[in-house]
Amino acid sequence: MIFKGSDHDRLSSANEAPSELRLGLIALAILAVFGLFVLRLFQLQILEGADLADRSLRNSVRTVRLEAPRGDIVDREGRVLATSRPAFRVQVIANDLPDGDVTFPVLGELLGRDPEEIEKQVGRPTGRRRFQPVVVEGDLGYAARARIEEHRYAMPGVVTDMVPRRDYVEEESAAHMLGTIGQIDAQQLGQEAFSGYRAGDVIGKYGLELGLESHLRGRTGGRNLVVDVAGQEIDVIEEVAPVPGGRLILTLDLDLQRAAEEAFRVKAPGNPDRMGALVAIDPRNGDVLAMVSRPAYDPNLFAGGIDASTWASLTGDAWHPLRNRAISGQYPPGSTYKPFVALAALAEGKIDAETTVYCPGYYRLGRRVYRCWKRSGHGEVNLAAALRDSCDVFFYQVGIDLGVDTIASFARRFGLGTRTGVALQGEAAGLIPTRAWKERVRGESWIKGETVSAAIGQGYDLVTPIQLANAYAALAHGGVHFPPRLVQRLESWDGQVVAENPIGEAKQAGVDPVFLNQVREGLIAVVEGTPGRPGTDQNPPTRTVQGTGARARVTGLSVAGKTGTSQVVRLDVVESMAEQDIPIRYRDHALFAAYAPTEAPEIAVAVVVEHAGEGGGTVAAPIARAVIAQWFEKKRARERESEAGADVVQQQAVVHPVTQSERP
Amino acid sequence: MLVDRRSLQNFDWVLLGLVSMLLLLGVVNLASAAAAGVEGGMADIVRRQVTLIGLGFFVALVAALIDYRHMERFGPLIFGAALFLLALTLLVGTVTRGAQAWLFEGSFQPSEIAKIALVIALARYFHQRPPQIITQLRDLVTPLLITALPVGLIILQRDMGVALLTVLVALTYLPLVHIPLRAWAGVALVGLAGLAALWSFGLKAYQQSRILDFLDPSRDPLASGYQAMQSRIAVGSGGLLGTGWQEGTQTQLRFLPTQHTDFVFSVLAEEWGFLGSTLVLLTFAALLLWGLWIARNSKDGFGAMLAVGLVGTLFWPAAINVAMVLGLAPVIGVPLPLFSYGGSALLSAAIAIGLLFNVSMRRYVF
Repeated sequence: MIFKGSDHDRLSSANEAPSELRLGLIALAILAVFGLFVLRLFQLQILEGADLADRSLRNSVRTVRLEAPRGDIVDREGRVLATSRPAFRVQVIANDLPDGDVTFPVLGELLGRDPEEIEKQVGRPTGRRRFQPVVVEGDLGYAARARIEEHRYAMPGVVTDMVPRRDYVEEESAAHMLGTIGQIDAQQLGQEAFSGYRAGDVIGKYGLELGLESHLRGRTGGRNLVVDVAGQEIDVIEEVAPVPGGRLILTLDLDLQRAAEEAFRVKAPGNPDRMGALVAIDPRNGDVLAMVSRPAYDPNLFAGGIDASTWASLTGDAWHPLRNRAISGQYPPGSTYKPFVALAALAEGKIDAETTVYCPGYYRLGRRVYRCWKRSGHGEVNLAAALRDSCDVFFYQVGIDLGVDTIASFARRFGLGTRTGVALQGEAAGLIPTRAWKERVRGESWIKGETVSAAIGQGYDLVTPIQLANAYAALAHGGVHFPPRLVQRLESWDGQVVAENPIGEAKQAGVDPVFLNQVREGLIAVVEGTPGRPGTDQNPPTRTVQGTGARARVTGLSVAGKTGTSQVVRLDVVESMAEQDIPIRYRDHALFAAYAPTEAPEIAVAVVVEHAGEGGGTVAAPIARAVIAQWFEKKRARERESEAGADVVQQQAVVHPVTQSERP
Repeated sequence: MLVDRRSLQNFDWVLLGLVSMLLLLGVVNLASAAAAGVEGGMADIVRRQVTLIGLGFFVALVAALIDYRHMERFGPLIFGAALFLLALTLLVGTVTRGAQAWLFEGSFQPSEIAKIALVIALARYFHQRPPQIITQLRDLVTPLLITALPVGLIILQRDMGVALLTVLVALTYLPLVHIPLRAWAGVALVGLAGLAALWSFGLKAYQQSRILDFLDPSRDPLASGYQAMQSRIAVGSGGLLGTGWQEGTQTQLRFLPTQHTDFVFSVLAEEWGFLGSTLVLLTFAALLLWGLWIARNSKDGFGAMLAVGLVGTLFWPAAINVAMVLGLAPVIGVPLPLFSYGGSALLSAAIAIGLLFNVSMRRYVF
């Protein structure tokens, strides 16, 4: 069945078989290629190989990787936040260790460590692994380094080198934004995106170090060395210098950052520092001027590979110091939400600036009673007073008139409840609830009472500090806001501009400026208070009224803001307890959001103090004030400088005609 | 009956000897390469390779026992099945190292099988139209289309190395056709234009960089240029006799990430020196020439053409791999047949060897 006919096959095969000549051509090609290979082997192994063998039979060639220093991260004025410094390493190559106890006792003595412990660290690697240097000390101080260098020849097998090490100059400052580095993990090594990396390479793990890894990293160099029996370098065969990583110029202002971080510190001994977050944004372009998350950590802990116990204590800490609360902390906005409710009410025509609501200290909806924070009530309040005094009842009433969906649509126009798109991983979206949301997620229909909570930023409402800062920047800047920008530009290590990071696309909240101004009047009153008026025939005199955010006042500057206090648990859980008895994690968050100067805003700040136990006006406002005051001081210093400069110019202008007039 | 007595009497001991020698040297060398940097240590990888060789033996046995003339009859079916597998890979294959070329959780690479299927298809074509009657370029359109089908699918998987290899395997037939030289000059022009287009549109940045690195190794000594540089140093330090098994003092070999697969020959060159590596190269060359000898002695055109193509499937990866290790070609991730660690490549080599036995055993069967 296989054969169609042997005769036919035999006949055709004579024709079909390729000619011997042509097969010979292929054979010749194969021989030529393999002949070429043998010649090449001869060249590399016999001709060039002898060259190496001549130097010393026992010398060997060793490749040393020259790590590129990671690029600097600097603030908007060029002040260094993260850089690379040389670290002195001591390594042992097991293969080069002499027989007998020679190296370890000396090394132990010089390092002040137990020789046996070092020996255990090095172990007894076999096979090719014994050529692999084992790092004994990763970052040795100057004195110990001098001792080691001096006695190197007494310690065969010990090699020393300098490698760049990440140095976060400002330690905890802006730690969450800068991020951390660490060794690349096995999973990443398998992916093509990381094909340029090798096991043990340093890579950004978090924050900007992660986000701008490709720019910061630089390019590793290499050096081929001839080393002698003791592992000491004899000759450099070839070397390619590493290229340092690029610089990152941030929008951050280190002065403001420091002032903000300082403000979270509690001076009184024995008290823990404040926890929470702060974000300061330039409303004109979305530049992030400061970003704080407390508690923080020292990123230098990660620079040389973090040890297990430190890592465990950081990750196991109940207050999560590694978390960037500024972008991933989600908090009920509390009363800082009220300006957006007010805008909704004005725009929908539910109220005007003069509409008053009577606040008896509570609000009744059906059978339920909702309290105002001030039990005795605010009396008749209009919008400005309601904002200034943070009257809850006014907003309960307005909220019920508006309905939750209208409130949500206005809050969303200011970016609340959606990620701002800041260039950091792990940004949370927050939550601005709507009827549809509750139907979808909870499968329940919206209850009117929940609108009451939503109107004062409680209930389901959640925002992140960066959202809040950006929303207030929009209030300040005519309803326009930008995606927050952290990085101004990328430069190469020698200062060439690699890329400018343009200002993000502006988003319009689309609110009538008249309404915006009416709300802003109220926000100014929160900080600056309402000045008293002398009495007239029609009106009795009024006294000056302090606002709830008076502690954010800065002399010489007009500040607008809004306090907020958000409940962490239902009121009835803690109502009966005295303040100091309430467990920390049940205590209220204190919030404050502000902008200044009110006539032409240049800075917007949002502060959240977690579990403060006191109101936003008491705890959070002074922190925002510290940043705004610092900003104002710098602005005045700049103005004085440019005035001084202008004076010089004016003098010249004056002098000039005089010389002319004298000439004739 | 699949095999008759005469086939067994004509058993090809030379082929068996050459293949066994290469496999044996390969495993011994792999044991040394694996001892160095591979996690899991030596035993694991060597055990897996030996298991694969055992599996390969049975695959080769099957490939040898089914009379190759059946394969001619079922050629289109085999070819179609291979194309189907390639297409399937495109749809469901897992992405490994940038190429979407692996099926079944990355254990099986259909493009390796496709090479063999292509050879069967081309051998069938050249049996019906013997190359010596092909005198015009347009006669090559059909084989070109046959080649383009699997190559196109492989290119869609973004596996440029294998695509190139598959094209080269098809090119193995070219010396056999009788087309005048001046026709080839035209082809060369078109080819150059094609290469330029491939460079600008077909290659990923890292692939362009590999080629540039080859042209100028100091461009980036730690990227692919680094591998090439390290490989050359390793080879160079082998000297005449080598450093001895597992004694490669050239510690930089640890820096070769694929020293048990793509760069396995540099381990050999370092530890076995000029003599050892030349021996392996000569064995390889002998195996390929013996394949051509099988082609010459084949009793029919299909067998001859099949053997020529199979020699191609062994020759090209070997040539590219060794050229890469010796710094004569850019770094292309192509394993050394019968020598490198790795399942798919070994199994496809096993099929090729089995088919060579197949043709060889039946040379006197009429």
